[in-house]
Amino acid sequence: MTSLKVFVIARLLLVIPTILLLVSLVFFIMRVMPGDPVIAIVGMKAPPERILELRKALGLVDESGNPIPLPIQYFNYLANLFRGDFGRSLIWGKRPVLVEIMEHLPATIELAMAGFLVSIILGVTLGTIGGWKGGKMSSAVKIYSAITYALFIPWIGMMLQLLFAVWLKVLPVGGRIDPGLEPPMITGLYLLDSILTGRWDSFVSALRHIILPSLTLGLVISGVFSRVARTSVEEIMRQDFVIAARARGIPEHRLVVHILRNAFIPIMTMMGLQLALLMTGAILTETTFSWPGMGTSLFERIEYRDYTTVQGTVVFFAIIISVINLVVDILYAYIDPRIRY
Amino acid sequence: MMYTFRPILVKLVPKVRLSILGWAGAGMVALTVFLAIFAPLLTPYDPTKAVGPSLQPPCWEYPLGTNKIGQDMWSRIVYGARTILIVVLLSTVISMLIGVPLGLISGYAGGLLDRILSMIMDAIYAFPSLILAIAMAAALGPGILNTAISIAIVYVPTYFRMVRGQTLSIKEQLYVEAARAIGANHTAILISYIFPNVISIITVVFTLSVADVVLTEAALSFFGLSVPAPTPDWGFDLKAGHPYLLSGYWWLVTFPGLMIMILAVGFTFIGESVAEYFQAREVRT
Amino acid sequence: MVSFELLIMYLSINRGELLGLVGESGSGKSSLGLSIVRLIPPPGRIVDGEITFRGMNLLKLPEKELRNIRGKHIGMIFQDPLTSLDPLRKIGDQLVETIIVHTRVNEEEAKEIALRALERVGIAPDRFDDYPHQLSGGMRQRVMIAMATMLNPDLLIADEPTTALDVIVQSRIMDLLSDLKKSMKMAILLITHDLALVIERSDRVAVMYAGELCEVGPSEVISQEPLHPYTQLLLESIPDIEKPRTKLVYIPGNPPDMRNPPTGCRFWPRCPKVMDVCKRISPRSLELDDRFVRCHLYNGGLECGK
Repeated sequence: MTSLKVFVIARLLLVIPTILLLVSLVFFIMRVMPGDPVIAIVGMKAPPERILELRKALGLVDESGNPIPLPIQYFNYLANLFRGDFGRSLIWGKRPVLVEIMEHLPATIELAMAGFLVSIILGVTLGTIGGWKGGKMSSAVKIYSAITYALFIPWIGMMLQLLFAVWLKVLPVGGRIDPGLEPPMITGLYLLDSILTGRWDSFVSALRHIILPSLTLGLVISGVFSRVARTSVEEIMRQDFVIAARARGIPEHRLVVHILRNAFIPIMTMMGLQLALLMTGAILTETTFSWPGMGTSLFERIEYRDYTTVQGTVVFFAIIISVINLVVDILYAYIDPRIRY
Repeated sequence: MMYTFRPILVKLVPKVRLSILGWAGAGMVALTVFLAIFAPLLTPYDPTKAVGPSLQPPCWEYPLGTNKIGQDMWSRIVYGARTILIVVLLSTVISMLIGVPLGLISGYAGGLLDRILSMIMDAIYAFPSLILAIAMAAALGPGILNTAISIAIVYVPTYFRMVRGQTLSIKEQLYVEAARAIGANHTAILISYIFPNVISIITVVFTLSVADVVLTEAALSFFGLSVPAPTPDWGFDLKAGHPYLLSGYWWLVTFPGLMIMILAVGFTFIGESVAEYFQAREVRT
Repeated sequence: MVSFELLIMYLSINRGELLGLVGESGSGKSSLGLSIVRLIPPPGRIVDGEITFRGMNLLKLPEKELRNIRGKHIGMIFQDPLTSLDPLRKIGDQLVETIIVHTRVNEEEAKEIALRALERVGIAPDRFDDYPHQLSGGMRQRVMIAMATMLNPDLLIADEPTTALDVIVQSRIMDLLSDLKKSMKMAILLITHDLALVIERSDRVAVMYAGELCEVGPSEVISQEPLHPYTQLLLESIPDIEKPRTKLVYIPGNPPDMRNPPTGCRFWPRCPKVMDVCKRISPRSLELDDRFVRCHLYNGGLECGK
């Protein structure tokens, strides 16, 4: 256990410079903006008081209107982040960005989880079939993986909307729940909250709304899983113990279970690696289905040039991803002792 | 100076044999390239101008219909191929121009420089690619070059990591040591001994990442962060047509999205095929 | 009686007999072992032939019935006992599963059978809940042997069972196999590249080269009077520890590329006694008393070639 502890501590220490680096990256990216960002936001004809106000909000000038040098800006930015201050919106009445994020985070998490579930079910099932049957089935799954991986999320989402919402009219076209049916807030995940509070009408509505977005997201990510499931099943099928088990007369349905057990570790590793793709995919899915999550919010804020919110959201994503990677790494260390290094 | 030892692994232009899948992909990409090159000959209308009635369904005059402002969708699709291919090409070139030399130097020099570069690249690599590109594009503003730069930044680490890894293993090879022993300077070794051997890796990275580049461009333009408004761009048209989808105007989104998929799937098929080829070759030798 | 035919010749094993099948790597001896239970990995397949076991042709048997024979009537052990066991499951569970699949016993009884089988091969009962990586190589192979023999099979196919083990363990495993042969009246097909081991341990020897049988006969006879040039060379190449500092004898050349085997006798490119006819015509099999040989040297009868 000591080696595990050392690993966890080392990994925890490593996450600090990583986050610092990412956060600095965002700061400098936002500062390479050509021209005057403030003019870009409000236009040339804005009144000077408004321009000054925005300059202050962006941290470009101090209270008396003197420009702040870049290193000091950077330092202030880091200091604010350290205090949990992600800045304030330039437009929506100076709302703190963190409040905005926290409001939209549960929706994104709910969608990401549902999409993840769909992608695992689809991907692992198809991949296992492909690897198990081999031959033509394997090639078919290979093509499935390649195509689904290259699908453009908004488009596949729109095609599903067109089919199920516009033509067949069996599912809602977008949104997260029918208005007025929002369950009382416990976790912020509508499906879970409606179960916890026993509101079945809310549950059904939330479920109907999540089907198309989670299918869209899940379909695209399932490509990666079907691929890794297929290749690992194929690889394990070639191993001696499978031949040995067949030579003992173990029937095929039992053998599948044993092979899947062995394929589980590579598939899980891949799951961890796909969390970043999941977040990216969630952003595009949300925008397509007007899902009120962080992606939709980010999209809106870009349109309104609310740069502080955009910056804050991006930083938040960076931190989330670093933390997710950290948790995944530590989880692996618990599951597979060979990973400790 | 004369070198006694010739690099033994040199393959300047990697010869690649494509599978059927790879050829299918090549066909899909070729179709897009064809549209882009012969755009003026294939289109009856100016893609940026209103040339017909608003929201006309596909018909003889407007084969893919028209959009809200009366632009011909077929012309926009054909010219849109130009936009996306130019951005993809430009951003790939930028990624390579930054990622490959940095990877070579970092892997060859080692030491502190290598550690710092690797750490920065790993951090960028860990960042969800689309979000990074969005941040960058939002900061830089619209335009073909700006979009290309925003996407390029995302893929620099991919080239860097692969080239660096390859460089690390090649620099230990006997012939590189031999070249060093007879007094070849570092630049000469990097250019004539190591660089030729990372070309295969660059090919693989390129073919595997180019589909992602296509999708990232489409996403940026979907977010309105790529080229400015009247320029035909598939992702932008997809976004612009979305509000009308609910009223049943299906042609506005179907065709631009289909083109994005054809291009991305085409590149993915090529990438799969190339990667498989190199893998098979590695196993054999 | 268990028998199978390969290419041209006919090979059989009797109850309580240990038949050693010798050949270089790639000579097809493992494929032969696997084809008995129809487990040739794709794209390989059995084109033609007949494998008779308990009066049934195994090649014609439906998959379901064959599955009942595998593990129950025919046991198999493989070269690498580590990779032959599922790394993620306790050895006990793997034993019990095999028993439950083939018999009508419940979990409790199956565990008892498994423990008895482990005891017979010298594995302590407390190892029942161990994972394969917790056992030593020799113990793993014992587990494999226990698993392959616990249901009293008629035939045990042992594919290089001792190659991955050190010499001491090797000899213990061979002792164990000999015991099982005697006590359970089992037929054992020992597949190996080690001719010395086969001469020492087996009742009969079959020598294989490039997918074809060269020579079959009782061990003592073959070791005293080998007929086929390949067997002669193999025997000469066994180093004799009694005579120090003799030069190591080897067979020049390499085994043929099986995608494009030589015409005629497949051994002729490496044969010291090659004749013109060898390059054109594949030799017939000649039978004398209890032995077979396939070589043009003996076309005029066995005595004539001597």
